[in-house]
Amino acid sequence: MRYLARRVIAAAVLVAVVSSGALLLTRLAPGDFASDLFGAGASAATIARERARYGLDRSPVSQYLDWLGRAARLDFGVSLVYHRPVAELVAQRAANTGLLALVALVFATLLGLPAGIITGSRRRGLLPTILRGLSLVLLSLPSLITSLVLVLVAARTQWFPTGGMQSAGAWDAGVFAGLADLARHLPLPALAIALPLSAMIERVQSQSMGDALEMPFTLSTLARGVPRSRLVWRDALRPAIGPVAAMYGFVLGSLLSGSFVVEVVTSWPGLGRLMYDALRARDLYLVAGCAAAGSLFLAVGTLLSDLLQAWADPRLRRDEAGGTSGGSA
Amino acid sequence: MTASRLVYQPFPVVGALILIALVSLSGGCRKEAPPPENTAPVKALVSSLRAEPRTFNRYAGRDSVLEIFTLLTQARLVRIDRRTQALEPWLAESWTSSEDGLTYTLKLRPGVTFSDGTPFTSADVLFAFRAVYDEKTGSALGESMRVGGKPLAVSAPDTSTVVVRFPSAFGPGLRLLDNLAILPRHKLEAALNGGTLGKAWDLATPPAEIVGLGPFVLKAYQPGQRLVFERNPRYWRTDGRGHRLPVLDRLTLEIVPDQNAELLGLQTGQTDFTQSEVRPEDYATLKRAADAGKLSLLDLGVGLDADSFWLNLRPNRPAVAKRPWLLRAELRRAISHAVDRRAFAETVFLGAAVPVHGPVTPGNTRWYSADLPRLEYDVPAARRLLAGIGLTDRDGDGVLEDRAGATAGFTILTQKGNTALERGAAFLAEDLKKVGLAVDVAPLDVGAVIDRIERGDYDAVYFRFLTTDLDPALNIDLWVSSGSAHVWNPGQSKPATEWEREIDRLMGRQVAALDQAQRKALFDQVQTIVAEQLPMIQFAAPRIYLATSVRVVNATPALLRPAILWNPDTLGVR
Repeated sequence: MRYLARRVIAAAVLVAVVSSGALLLTRLAPGDFASDLFGAGASAATIARERARYGLDRSPVSQYLDWLGRAARLDFGVSLVYHRPVAELVAQRAANTGLLALVALVFATLLGLPAGIITGSRRRGLLPTILRGLSLVLLSLPSLITSLVLVLVAARTQWFPTGGMQSAGAWDAGVFAGLADLARHLPLPALAIALPLSAMIERVQSQSMGDALEMPFTLSTLARGVPRSRLVWRDALRPAIGPVAAMYGFVLGSLLSGSFVVEVVTSWPGLGRLMYDALRARDLYLVAGCAAAGSLFLAVGTLLSDLLQAWADPRLRRDEAGGTSGGSA
Repeated sequence: MTASRLVYQPFPVVGALILIALVSLSGGCRKEAPPPENTAPVKALVSSLRAEPRTFNRYAGRDSVLEIFTLLTQARLVRIDRRTQALEPWLAESWTSSEDGLTYTLKLRPGVTFSDGTPFTSADVLFAFRAVYDEKTGSALGESMRVGGKPLAVSAPDTSTVVVRFPSAFGPGLRLLDNLAILPRHKLEAALNGGTLGKAWDLATPPAEIVGLGPFVLKAYQPGQRLVFERNPRYWRTDGRGHRLPVLDRLTLEIVPDQNAELLGLQTGQTDFTQSEVRPEDYATLKRAADAGKLSLLDLGVGLDADSFWLNLRPNRPAVAKRPWLLRAELRRAISHAVDRRAFAETVFLGAAVPVHGPVTPGNTRWYSADLPRLEYDVPAARRLLAGIGLTDRDGDGVLEDRAGATAGFTILTQKGNTALERGAAFLAEDLKKVGLAVDVAPLDVGAVIDRIERGDYDAVYFRFLTTDLDPALNIDLWVSSGSAHVWNPGQSKPATEWEREIDRLMGRQVAALDQAQRKALFDQVQTIVAEQLPMIQFAAPRIYLATSVRVVNATPALLRPAILWNPDTLGVR
């Protein structure tokens, strides 16, 4: 419990620092929402009036303290662009990004983990060589290129829609039709995120599997006559999965910050795209809200990865228990 | 339950994951449901937008998406035909003007109702004027609806008559009212009275609450995804054969932020047309598709917007004290001579542009003048002009120095991410280096460029202004020295130069003249002064192409944005 409380406090600090930084940087950068709204050529009086209307004429410190006071009560203010509460806008889009991230993670795991086990357990052979080569290619491709290639493939083959999250009126024909339509839209952006990620998982899992197969217990198991495939897929897998599990937290966090390119290219209405639009419009409260959501994802992801690691490696549970009791003594 | 919840559909994640697998296994192919028997096919088109709407209230916002939304759902008293520039009756079926041209009496079209069935009357027009001039609302329309800084006086002798009185003679006359959408008094008056009109009709407003006099009504808004419009069954316009407009039953605007994805949507038939013009780099691909009969490529001619270069002519800034030659007209003329406009058009716009010598391009047929002084490509002439203001190569390194021995150069700010502007600025820097000027290019985020322009903290800028009105009297702030859009030296309390004083005088007469020929002659004089003094320099104007699917019929594309949706009610589908 104490461990969990510590993590919750750390998460709150992380969210506060990241969102404060985002707000202050947006506020201090040249230009602001009012000048962006009216563009070059607006009269000074008009710009001044708009700045006063949105409270942008106050000092950054006073504006920040005011925002911080409200944010402490979970009121993240009202978006300058949309005139809607930031929390409402962020919650809507975070759900979309959360779904995309989850599906991408599943795809990445389904592709990357087996590939990593194969390449880690077999040093030679055609399949491991091809998989390693593919991983290197996918790792070196920026998400923008992956997204564009996938969109192009979708456009040529018509297998999947080239963008968006749902077709117009998809839910009119019922929940099942709506879900089917959503499912048809998901693979494209999810794969755009998942492919480089799967390559990363493959690399980590491959290394980890190689190490696990050289541990004394696996060598002794092999010496006892256990078939190699059983050793790999059953005995060595659990200790080898730790590093990948540790990576998941950061991956979850980075999915939110890194998915914005994919969301823009594939027209996915997620948090990344909302933050991109907010940054372009200099909507500082919305930027801060999006940053808070992103850092919250990172904190939750890190916690989940710790729990996964603890599940995979009982030594960590003992260490944590020891550390906790030691700390309270 | 809030409106946003009504349109935003939640989804069970687990179900979605299972279905992904099912649909993926089944090939994921798009299968259109067969249309129900014995019903007329739905006439529907899909277009795209690059940005989200910010509000649905024309009196509260100002952006291109809101403009499109308003064109689809609302109507004005009069309309400018964007192809011919002719003023045409709209909600006002006729009008008369007083002899002095100050007072217009407009007769409203009878029998018109809002989309919810409420009759449209002169009270709605009075409300519209009150709303845009309301200080609490702070409508951007309020500023554009003033003449000489003063509002128009409006009265309504009866329910079908409106009298509009201008504070002073105004050449464009009723053209000014093309900006003013008539929003429903019965829906918004309470908000205006309560001082909250600026917040009314935000994105959470239920679509049924947003009523109007336009051809379409909003059916659904799905944040980040699309706006769906359906025909307004009470729309008042009919076509030449008496059929009630609009032609389309449904129009969907998909929100596609990336232009490449937008292009793919067009190529694959998922989108029928976009709001963006064809980029030079996409022309060849789309031309091939058009030649194969897969798309229609529309050539609209030379565009209205030529990217502009200007030097900061504010006289009291520190840089000018050290480099006074920055204010000299000879420098601007030398720059104009130094740039090869034909090569500029070839390189920056990949050949899809024509050289221009002034801010009014040949696309603006009503106000363009072909007889202005031109400073053609002439490097020796540029060098002579520079030498005349003391800029010569004193140390033989190929770069000019001024009389104080300082390097003659400056930095051009431009917008990062806009490929045409970045290419253009790089081309300028290269050509100016050939005459010995040391020019750097600093691409900045658009907000930072605007901020630097606003603060006057720059040497030179290469930037694009989007034309919203063709009549110079409606862009008066650009021309007169006191104007906020007089970007090279804005908001002057008195003209800094004689030629600016002369432009002020001519534009004063041009705005007040009621005769079009006289207005054109006066504006030609203004353009001549600008061509001689070059406070802004233009090099090329792009040719504008639009691509649509072959399904689109009756499109009436115009150079002013939005190119197709300015006239949405006759738009049809094959």
